[in-house]
Amino acid sequence: MVIVGIPTFGNKGLNEVLNNRFGRCNSFTFVTIENNQIVEVKSVANDAQGAMGGAGIQAAQIIGNNGATEVIVGNLGPNASSSLNALNITIYQAQGGSLTVKGLIDLRLSGKLQVLTSPNVAAHAGMGGGGGRGMGGGGQGRQF
Amino acid sequence: MLKLKPKIICVTGGKGGTGKTLVAVNLAIMFKNQGFKVLLIDGDVENPNTFLLLNAKLENKTEVLYFLPKIIEDKCTKCGLCAENCGTHALLHIKNSYPIPISTVCSGCKLCYKICPTNAIEPDLKVIGWTYRASAFNIDLFLGELKPAEARSAVIVNKLMENLEHIIKTETEKYDVVVLDTAPGAHCDVEELISGADFVIPVTEPTRFGKLDLLRIIELIDLLKKEYKAIVNRSSLLGYKDKFLKELEEKGIEILGDIPLDEEIVRSYCQGNPLMEKRSKFDRNGAGYKSFEIIFENLIKWGDFSK
Repeated sequence: MVIVGIPTFGNKGLNEVLNNRFGRCNSFTFVTIENNQIVEVKSVANDAQGAMGGAGIQAAQIIGNNGATEVIVGNLGPNASSSLNALNITIYQAQGGSLTVKGLIDLRLSGKLQVLTSPNVAAHAGMGGGGGRGMGGGGQGRQF
Repeated sequence: MLKLKPKIICVTGGKGGTGKTLVAVNLAIMFKNQGFKVLLIDGDVENPNTFLLLNAKLENKTEVLYFLPKIIEDKCTKCGLCAENCGTHALLHIKNSYPIPISTVCSGCKLCYKICPTNAIEPDLKVIGWTYRASAFNIDLFLGELKPAEARSAVIVNKLMENLEHIIKTETEKYDVVVLDTAPGAHCDVEELISGADFVIPVTEPTRFGKLDLLRIIELIDLLKKEYKAIVNRSSLLGYKDKFLKELEEKGIEILGDIPLDEEIVRSYCQGNPLMEKRSKFDRNGAGYKSFEIIFENLIKWGDFSK
C-alpha cells in the first residue's frame, strides 16, 4: 500500500487539479493505492497556506501526518524539499499544465513521472495572492 | 550623581567603498584628541578591517556560538510541543516520531530547549564567528568576524551590541562616545547598528551609484526614525560636487561636510596611521585635514557634544 499526497485547490477528489504551489496550496488530496488500484481518496485542508513563514515545512508535516510516502508536485521550494527529504518521502515532478489527480496517479502508476531530488523554485516563490506577507515582485511559481 | 550614557554615532552609507571606515576612524580619533573616552565598533562582520586603519593588534578572540536544537531520542516522548511552538517552524514533527530540526530556518531562539517537558532537547552549539577587542591611539575597538560561508551575520553584530549594552549598564561612564562602523548595504546587520545609535552619518560619493545607495540607506534611517546628516567623500571627483550637493539639498538631505580627494588621506590609509591623530605628521593645512576639522565642528554642534 502506498499513499500519494498531491497539492490541490479543493475537495473534489480525483477530479481535483494539481496546484503548482506546495506549501501554500489550498488542500492536499491523498490517494491510497493498493495493487496498482486506487482504493481511497481524501482531501485535507492545508493549514499552512497563510503561514508567515515555514509553510513548506508545515505542509510537509501534513503530508507525513497523513501517512503519505510519496508526493507529486509542481513547484517545490527549498524548505519543503529538505523537509520531505528528511521524512524520506519520494517527490515526483508533475510535468506540464493542469493535470487532474486521476491523471497524475495514472502517470505515476505507469512509471512516467520523474523523481525530484532538490527544490525547483526559490524560497517564498508561492507567496503573494493567497496569503502571507505577499513578497511584492516575487510572483507565483517563479522558475530559476 | 546622574551617570551619563555615551552618545552613539553610527557611520553607514549603503554603498561599499565610500569611506565609512575612514570617517568612523577619524571621527573617533578627533573625539579622542578632545579628551573624550572613545569606543569604536566595527560592525562589518563580513569584512572587518577597521583595525588595519589603526594598526591595532586584535586580542581577546572569543567564539560566537549559535544554537541549534539536538533531539535526545532516549528522553523524547514525541509529544510535539517543541514543533507546535516553534515560531519559524524549524522543527518538523510527524505524530509518533521524533521531531526533526530544519537548521536552515532555525532562529536560534532556544524556545524548544526551554519548554521541552522531558529535557530531550540539548543545545547543538556551532561556532559561527568571533569577536575581538583591540586598543590603539587610546581608542578601544570591538570587532566581529563572521566565519566564511556562514549566513547569520546578524548574530555576530548582535553580540557586539550586547557587549556594548553590558558596558553601558555596568560601567556607564567608561566611554563618552561610541562610534559604530557598519557594513555596506541596508540589511539587518546595518539596521541593528542604526537602531542603537543617537546620530547617523551616511557617507556617500558624488556619483550615480553613491546617490542611489544613499537614498536607500536614508529610507532605512527614516524607517528607524533616526536623525542623520550625510558626508560627501571624494567630493572633488571629476567636478561633480556642486551638482551633487544641489541634488542633496533639493531632496532635503543635510550634510555635515564633504571630503575632497587628497593624497594625504590615501597615505594615512595605506600606513594605518589616522589622518586626524594629533601626533601624526600630516599637513594641518591639507584639504583632507581641513575638511575633517569642519565636519567635526559641525558634528559637535549637531550632537551638542560637550566635554
